[in-house]
Amino acid sequence: MTRFLLAGSAGPRGPAGPGGPGGELALAAAAHRVVAAARWYGWLRRWGLLLSFGLARDPVAEVRACLVVLASDDAAAERLAAGWGLVSGYRVAVLALTGPGEDTR
Amino acid sequence: MSSPAEAALTAAFREEWPRLIAAALRITGDLQAAEDVAQETLVAALDRWPLQGIPDRPGAWLMTVCRNRARNLVRDDSRAQQRIASLRPLLDGAPPSGDQAPEIADDRLRLIAMCCHPLLAADAQVALTLRMVAGLTTQEIARGFHTPAASIAQRIVRAKRTLREHRVEFATQDPDLGPRLAPVLDVIYLIFNEGYLPAASESLTRGDLALEARRLACLLTSLMPAEPDPWALRALLSFQLSRWTTRTGPGGVLLTLDAQDRGRWDRELIRDGVAALERARRGPRGPLLLQAELAACHATAPSFAATDWAAIVALYDELAVLQDTPVVALNRAVAVAMAAGPAAALPALNELVSHPVLAGSHRVWAVRADVNRRAGRTAAALADYDRALELAGNQAERRYLAQARRDAAEAFAEGTLPAGNPE
Repeated sequence: MTRFLLAGSAGPRGPAGPGGPGGELALAAAAHRVVAAARWYGWLRRWGLLLSFGLARDPVAEVRACLVVLASDDAAAERLAAGWGLVSGYRVAVLALTGPGEDTR
Repeated sequence: MSSPAEAALTAAFREEWPRLIAAALRITGDLQAAEDVAQETLVAALDRWPLQGIPDRPGAWLMTVCRNRARNLVRDDSRAQQRIASLRPLLDGAPPSGDQAPEIADDRLRLIAMCCHPLLAADAQVALTLRMVAGLTTQEIARGFHTPAASIAQRIVRAKRTLREHRVEFATQDPDLGPRLAPVLDVIYLIFNEGYLPAASESLTRGDLALEARRLACLLTSLMPAEPDPWALRALLSFQLSRWTTRTGPGGVLLTLDAQDRGRWDRELIRDGVAALERARRGPRGPLLLQAELAACHATAPSFAATDWAAIVALYDELAVLQDTPVVALNRAVAVAMAAGPAAALPALNELVSHPVLAGSHRVWAVRADVNRRAGRTAAALADYDRALELAGNQAERRYLAQARRDAAEAFAEGTLPAGNPE
């Protein structure tokens, strides 16, 4: 397993995705995002894949959140990144923190 | 379909949204900035809550973040340094000085009053109230009103600009809600009507707007419990909404009161309406209370046949004294036809079809068509149905009218209805 850093940035219309002119957030959509994202993080934690996370202090910072996750390879990390982007609305960048094949256990 | 957690969270966001706008407005003094801050606060919750867990007191969390963000915004603006000094007592949480003490205790109420400012046109009041108080996005409002989103956005921007240009400030000027209450109630009723029976659309109901209007009415009753009119409006909307799901049948066809399944009427809403009506009766018998009483007659009747039409006619008589409008006269004629038979209603209807306010509306023709049909004046009924069909914009109502016309024509052809003379 390899450690990866996933960096989530605000999309062009904010983390909740397009919500209308000016990137307005629909309240029901915001609630849906919170629940869906919480469920997804819960899943990561249950499988022991979420090692740590960090959140931006500034609410308008470009990079909003970072996750350090475990994945078997680059492709698996990309899949996690895609899943995170889906539930959070972030644009997600992936960076391997350790060499491929390195066992972190 | 949202989960219970999502529904609870949505309700919490809806509850907090106007508070956040008001808190930010109090600090920034600008509606646009306040909206941006409230929006950023929600985004912060979206970032943090899923990872850190939903706080024990979500409302307090949102409010703290919102106030901090608003303060930062004001501090960041170097041109506003002087303003910060004048706002220092508020920023520090100190109570305002006695001569500036707000007369309206709740910020949400001040916000509603501000959104319904007399400087704004009714459509701008409605749009601004839905955005700032109800938290609907421009897109959602546009969908509700079948208006392009750009038009709604422009309406809201113009409204904000008007308030700014006229220095309608939230933090220092407390709107006098007494004279503003009537337009506030009007705006809420307008929102409800737009959602309950849209003038031109495929379906008969656009529930979101109607539900939102009732939520606003409930908010008003919780904010102004001593005022009878908000209770009357709440009762009226609760009664109307109680039969919301039974108003259309398969294929979206309109079902009139006699055809609706009363067993499916929402008993909880009816109970809420009855309780609200009790509170409203403590005040004078104004138009809203009388309309709520009328709605109660229908909502609490055990069956269509058991409806107390004589009481309904009496209520319309009372209402006509306060609001001598052709719409009230038309509704009274319907009740008269039910209480005393169709022939008793025809003289009034024959006058109303030529009234300039009603002549262009399908409703008066549809009512007279039905009354003519029941009076056995089939040819007159068919002519009235034709006129109503020409004027009706709502597809569900058009389907209903077309079916009613077919039924009348078939009954006439089979000899079960006699011919009559068209007017």
